[in-house]
Amino acid sequence: MDKRYKVQVKDLHKSYGSNEVLQGIDLNVAPSEVVCMIGPSGSGKSTFLRCLNRLEVPNGGHVYVDGYDIADPKVNINKVRENIGMVFQHFNLFPNMSVLDNITLAPVQLGKATKAEAEEEALRYLDLVGLKEKANVNPQTLSGGQKQRVAIARALAMKPDVMLFDEPTSALDPEMVGDVLGVMKQLAKQGMTMIVVTHEMGFAKQVADRVVFFHDGKIREQGTPEEIFDHPQHPDTRNFLDKVLNV
Amino acid sequence: MRRISWKKIFASWLAALAIAVGWLLVEPQSVSAAEPTYTIATNNTFEPFEIQDSKGGYSGKNPGIEIEMLREIAKHEHFKYKLKPMSFNGDLQALEGGQVDAVMAGMSVTDERKQKFDFSVPYYTDGVEMAVAKDSNIKSLKQLKGKTVSAKSGTSAALFLKKNQKKYGYKVKYFDSSNTMWNDVKIGNTAATFDDGPVLEYGIKTGVPLKVVTKKPIDAQPVAIGFQKGKNLAMQKKINDGIRWMKKTGRMQKIIDKYTKGNKTAKSATADRTILGLLRANREALLRGLWMTVELTVVGIICAMIFGLILGVLGITQNKFAQAVSSVIIYIFRGLPMIVLAFFIYMGVPNVIGHKVPLFVAGVITLMLDEGAYIGAIVKGGFEAVDPGQWEAARSLGLPYHKALTKVIAPQGLKIMVPSLVNQFIMTLKDTSILSAIGVMELTETGTVIISQNMEGFKMWLIIGTIYIIIITLLTWLSNYIQKRMA
Repeated sequence: MDKRYKVQVKDLHKSYGSNEVLQGIDLNVAPSEVVCMIGPSGSGKSTFLRCLNRLEVPNGGHVYVDGYDIADPKVNINKVRENIGMVFQHFNLFPNMSVLDNITLAPVQLGKATKAEAEEEALRYLDLVGLKEKANVNPQTLSGGQKQRVAIARALAMKPDVMLFDEPTSALDPEMVGDVLGVMKQLAKQGMTMIVVTHEMGFAKQVADRVVFFHDGKIREQGTPEEIFDHPQHPDTRNFLDKVLNV
Repeated sequence: MRRISWKKIFASWLAALAIAVGWLLVEPQSVSAAEPTYTIATNNTFEPFEIQDSKGGYSGKNPGIEIEMLREIAKHEHFKYKLKPMSFNGDLQALEGGQVDAVMAGMSVTDERKQKFDFSVPYYTDGVEMAVAKDSNIKSLKQLKGKTVSAKSGTSAALFLKKNQKKYGYKVKYFDSSNTMWNDVKIGNTAATFDDGPVLEYGIKTGVPLKVVTKKPIDAQPVAIGFQKGKNLAMQKKINDGIRWMKKTGRMQKIIDKYTKGNKTAKSATADRTILGLLRANREALLRGLWMTVELTVVGIICAMIFGLILGVLGITQNKFAQAVSSVIIYIFRGLPMIVLAFFIYMGVPNVIGHKVPLFVAGVITLMLDEGAYIGAIVKGGFEAVDPGQWEAARSLGLPYHKALTKVIAPQGLKIMVPSLVNQFIMTLKDTSILSAIGVMELTETGTVIISQNMEGFKMWLIIGTIYIIIITLLTWLSNYIQKRMA
């Protein structure tokens, strides 16, 4: 594995039964790089993302994060996951605890901080996502956009090196999308390594260092936002962009 | 739920279990070494041999022929005894299983029984008699063709009926207690009933509306105490010596006369037979039965909950073997009728492990396995009903499996399960009544005993039923309150 990269993926394969969802993916992500993954639904981009912290177990290939091969069953996956933040399409906040407890649960349970330290930190992250005043409410009372920002704060509380975003704005009402993307832009600016599966082409254009186009379980094309959006090379890429940009 | 920590709940369960186990261990089982103590199975009430008092014991003035006899023998021969009242069938199984040392239950000595048991010196001669409803025209066995007749299962009357079934062409219905059986004749479900002569006559004397139609007892047979074959010879000798002494000194005859002649033991007809009167008269027995029911329910639920949680947690692991173990256990104990399980644990298991299982322990284990299997399925379902995204979110934060389970999944799952669990708790309360089959003196068994004395079936079952409804209502209120607090 190469020390220059935060995340290094080699020849990753994943199938469900006879359906090969990922057909050999290679991808390197440098520290502080923001990579956006686009492509039609079913192209394998979400599965790929979930392989990066072994929510899906790969069938073949290697995934190195911070030097650990996640595909190796001997690796203590819990330790590796502590350094990989993940944000889900449906937020997955814990409804059985307050916003604050959602954020402090992992740091406290994993011995990263005392309860008091964790709460202080949590309030800082809540402030960062603009929801400090919601610390003590139940997450079920929040709007979708607020939930997603809490979810981001929760992931950040573990102080991860890499953040994975799995279509973070797809389940949001349009007027909420801006708030969440705003927080993500801020993170990118602060130098967080981010891998984002998204349908927000505007965000990809504006924030991504690199855009990766997935199609049928393979990476068809990748490059800077200009290269992908302004000069797509592959017909599949052109076809996809035509559809999503010229509605 | 947020305020109640998972750890605290678990700790209190453990504490409760520890108390329960500790209490079971201290439960009086051992007695002084100087005088031996024999455990003797007997009938609940089998007049005139055994007559329980309103507390379900035999300490009154007229406890029945055999009880009075045993009392005197024990004093004369220097031993102590502990009585275990059960149905007659239960008595025989308990003796076979080694749960008891002897059966004293107005047992006739038959050839078939001699193969399995040793018998004491007989102290009474008993024959089967046939009784019909007061207004019935049936006078002889020949009139019974195609009709239904009854006997208590395992008794010599039952053996007689089985032997002669082809000859007379009747159908046989078996019962566990004389009262239910007689009542069945009274209301016309069975044409005739066959029971031991003295039992029938005593019953009729105290107001059962039947009449005996056989001129003299059919199949007269000696009555004796049964022992495990070839075991406990010292005890057999003591009891035999005692019976001989009783007969020689005329004490035996005196006791028999007391119960079969004159009206000394007849119940006073002036007793208050209104529901309130019955309640007052049987207050203590009912309270004791209710307490036993509550105790069984509480200890049973605690053990079943722990067992069920273990099954449920095993059922959702990714380990295929653990999953299979959980499914098989749930499948077996859900499929097994609870009464079979109770008999198996109380009567069957002692044969294998070689020593007795205390009654209460047997009852609790039965509840734990049976209700625990249901709770296991509920727990598994509840955990599985939690959005898988919750697992993913918790695990992707780096929480190990058990922390994700206890901090995130379980609290949500428990909330989903609460209604089903409450339902199961109510089922557990009701199911404790099944344990009356092995002789646990809970509410239902208490009712059976009381009715065997006062023959007030309708009113007593009304009272017992009402008590059940009341405690179930209280339990439902309590659970609704808890559910509201959790929401």
